[in-house]
Amino acid sequence: MTDASETAKQLRPGLWETVNERYPGSMITKVDLVPLAPLRKPLSQTRLTFVSSAGVQPRDSLPFDVVHPVGDFTFRRVPSSSTPADLEIHQIKYPTGGAARDLNVIFPVDRLSELAADGTIGGLTPNFFSFIGYTIDPTGFERTLAEALADAVAAEGAEAVLLCPA
Amino acid sequence: MQRAIERRGIPTVSVTVARDVTERAKPPRALFVPFMMGHHFGVPFHRALQRRVLLAALERLELAERSGEIATLPVTWAEARRQGDAIERELGLKR
Repeated sequence: MTDASETAKQLRPGLWETVNERYPGSMITKVDLVPLAPLRKPLSQTRLTFVSSAGVQPRDSLPFDVVHPVGDFTFRRVPSSSTPADLEIHQIKYPTGGAARDLNVIFPVDRLSELAADGTIGGLTPNFFSFIGYTIDPTGFERTLAEALADAVAAEGAEAVLLCPA
Repeated sequence: MQRAIERRGIPTVSVTVARDVTERAKPPRALFVPFMMGHHFGVPFHRALQRRVLLAALERLELAERSGEIATLPVTWAEARRQGDAIERELGLKR
């Protein structure tokens, strides 16, 4: 499944190492694997939540700090009943051409609602979760934001999680 | 992030457009889609493709056998854009 030529197409060879030399520890490399948590019920009975690092947030919430030198370690709750018109993007690390015309290309609220409505999944949690992924301190990110958000996801009653690392 | 959630006993799957980053970060389950950054679920107004990406990702929750597996959606970005253009022409959004 891991084809070297395909990998090369994704990122210039050597770039990863170069970035890590200039900004030590800024690029995550894990060696261990996390054991799989089992899906306890069929998908059609499973309550799903969505976690996005695309900086999508309700229009009236405090904008993410996209110029913070270390990274914004806060997250926002996004009601799963939101429509694209209720939401806006505060992140500058990826092209938003598609999202500007149809937010579902990066934050598929409409499609997830349809999956819940037609019974493909058991339902959606009241809120989804949103943050911005950029950080120069992934260790600090893991110790703080990742743990806080994982706690919030568990408290929300999620039985399965779809993530979209932007 | 994904690993922190999975450690709480909740199954997770991510949709990635950067296979190399995912190989290094080693999330428990992932679906790779060969799309442009910021377009993980496809192209504007292409509901069928957006749904297909979601279903392919959710399917990993049922089918993945080993942590760290990365499945691939057999679609190209060129195909997705071509189909998206056709849909936008049908909708009168593009000539």
